[in-house]
Amino acid sequence: MTVAQGVSNGTYAIETRDLSVYYGSFRAVKNVNLRLEPRKITALIGPSGCGKSTVLRTLNRMNDLVPGARVEGEVLFQGKNLYARDVDAVEVRRRIGMVFQKPNPFPKSIYDNIAFGPRINGWKGSKADMDNLVEASLRGAALWDEVKDKLHESGLALSGGQQQRLCIARALATQPEIILMDEPCSALDPISTLKVEELMFELRRNYTIIIVTHNMQQAARASDYTAFFLMDSDRAGQLIEYGPTQQLFTKPSDKRTEDYISGRFG
Amino acid sequence: MSVSLSAGTEAPAPERALGSLPSTDAEIRRNIAARRARGAVWRWLFAGALAFGILALATLLCTVVDGAFGLAVYEHSVDPRELSDRSLEELSQPELVEIFRANVSAGLFRRYDRERPLAERSAEDVRELIYERVVERRVVASYGLGESLLRRAAVERETAERHPGGVLEWRSWVSLDFLTRPMSSVPERAGIRTALLGSVWMIALTMLIAFPVGVAAAIYLEEFAGRSWWNRLIETNINNLAGVPSIIYGMLGLAIFVRALEPLTSGRALGAEGVNGRTILSAALTMALLILPLIIISAREAIRAVPSSLREASYGLGATRWQTVWHHVLPSALPGILTGTILGMSRAAGETAPLIVVGASTFIVSDPSGPFSSFTALPVQIYNWTSQPQETFRDIAAAAILVLLALLLSLNAAAVLLRNRFRRMY
Repeated sequence: MTVAQGVSNGTYAIETRDLSVYYGSFRAVKNVNLRLEPRKITALIGPSGCGKSTVLRTLNRMNDLVPGARVEGEVLFQGKNLYARDVDAVEVRRRIGMVFQKPNPFPKSIYDNIAFGPRINGWKGSKADMDNLVEASLRGAALWDEVKDKLHESGLALSGGQQQRLCIARALATQPEIILMDEPCSALDPISTLKVEELMFELRRNYTIIIVTHNMQQAARASDYTAFFLMDSDRAGQLIEYGPTQQLFTKPSDKRTEDYISGRFG
Repeated sequence: MSVSLSAGTEAPAPERALGSLPSTDAEIRRNIAARRARGAVWRWLFAGALAFGILALATLLCTVVDGAFGLAVYEHSVDPRELSDRSLEELSQPELVEIFRANVSAGLFRRYDRERPLAERSAEDVRELIYERVVERRVVASYGLGESLLRRAAVERETAERHPGGVLEWRSWVSLDFLTRPMSSVPERAGIRTALLGSVWMIALTMLIAFPVGVAAAIYLEEFAGRSWWNRLIETNINNLAGVPSIIYGMLGLAIFVRALEPLTSGRALGAEGVNGRTILSAALTMALLILPLIIISAREAIRAVPSSLREASYGLGATRWQTVWHHVLPSALPGILTGTILGMSRAAGETAPLIVVGASTFIVSDPSGPFSSFTALPVQIYNWTSQPQETFRDIAAAAILVLLALLLSLNAAAVLLRNRFRRMY
């Protein structure tokens, strides 16, 4: 297993050790060891069904919601295993935010979409404080100028790209430490995609971002590190190679990585 | 025509017959025309099925309307014109009392006076008494709407022959009086106020019990319960319960609510003066059991139809299961839940069998005043009236059916309005 070539030393934002995920008796992901750098963008790439989304969803225990899903191995976050018995999944998700493949704003106003997260997480403050938090979150997601005059209109009335940025703003409002993005641009047009990518670069200053994408150009231009996954013969996803994006795309050390990024399969 | 497909660069396939497709223009057109014709036959069959349904419904409505309106033949023992030189409507209360005293036996007068002194009764009450005991105005024959309109001459001839003293008059059996008068053993004086109030009380209590319990059970099954065999067993049985005949629920209600829980359902345990367990509360509890599976099933469907992306969005922000259910799942599922509830409510309003088993009375003069009153309901009343020998009871049964239909429609309309309001919000 190749682990973290050329990755700087120090503390990691999140680290998996021998991570395997099962759906019922089917092993979807096998022995993944991944150390993710803080305040960087890491892209998980690979062909369909290689387990990259599954790995992403184990990082904030979203897979707990899937009946029959089971995790072996460890996911270390700030020195603690997220799958330890005494760790509450709600706390994990509160601290590791997520943006989904399809924009999924709540059928509420833009304002309430942002305010929901803080409110349910025990936020305290005045109405003016909340206004400020909503504005800061929307500014953080580069959406403020477009929606500042219609904060009380439905979030569903926005365009697809705006909806996805609203979802990012919503994730920012709870001030997570890591943001997971599961193919956030797959339902967006190229211009909206570009906006989300620019936004990711902005967010990198304060957040660790882990993004699943099946678009290799996106991984190449918008990430600092890339992890390549592939199914093995018994259809379990494996980590094939992981390293700085530049290096992985120009001088891959594994033949299979080279085949994939040069478009020979997948 | 046979076709052989070349295998390209691959190894040549062994020679096999490949059948034939229509190929000339004429053949293709003929084939398409034949397929179209087959479709048209089905289309007419489907339209016929719909027409049959509409026809059956229209016939039902016509029958009801036919019975509820039409000509009626009145006879009276004493002509009201003989009682006074002015019409009864113009007389004052003391004059009316005088007429009443003069025309009934002393014993009867004393009886009414003991019930409630005549001097204290209103002019309308006394006038009613005169009509009832002195004039004895009664319907001796009645005709349906169709007959009254189309065969007017024949009806008049028949009346003249059979009831020489009778007066032919138009009569609508549904009227404000019909709605507001209590029961009576004389059909033309009978009203459905007690039955209407009984139905409304029962439906309200039923919904109050069944809606929260049903929705809560559905939420538990969909959002909290695991997939254990035990839960699957419960689910299957809820589905089965929806198909249990209503009379069996009646037996259950009789055994549990009326008999076993009598202290509670009669209200004695709660300080009310209940006589027995045959109360509105027992009926409502029975009806609630009856429609509970309906509500649970439809609420579960509605909850399941909430997109999982909505749940994930909520969980992804660190919401607990309950917060997700309360803030997102329930509001999104509410229109669907209400649709199922409307169906359940209509069912509860129209069921007769369980009410009869649980012990709805058919003759009640006093209005139901609360959950511990004995009661009657519209369907029970209709059932009772249609089984009476006098023809006139069938007329008021038709009128009561119209009232029941109107009640159902207005309840449904209210629920649909409520549902649409929620739809607009989400």
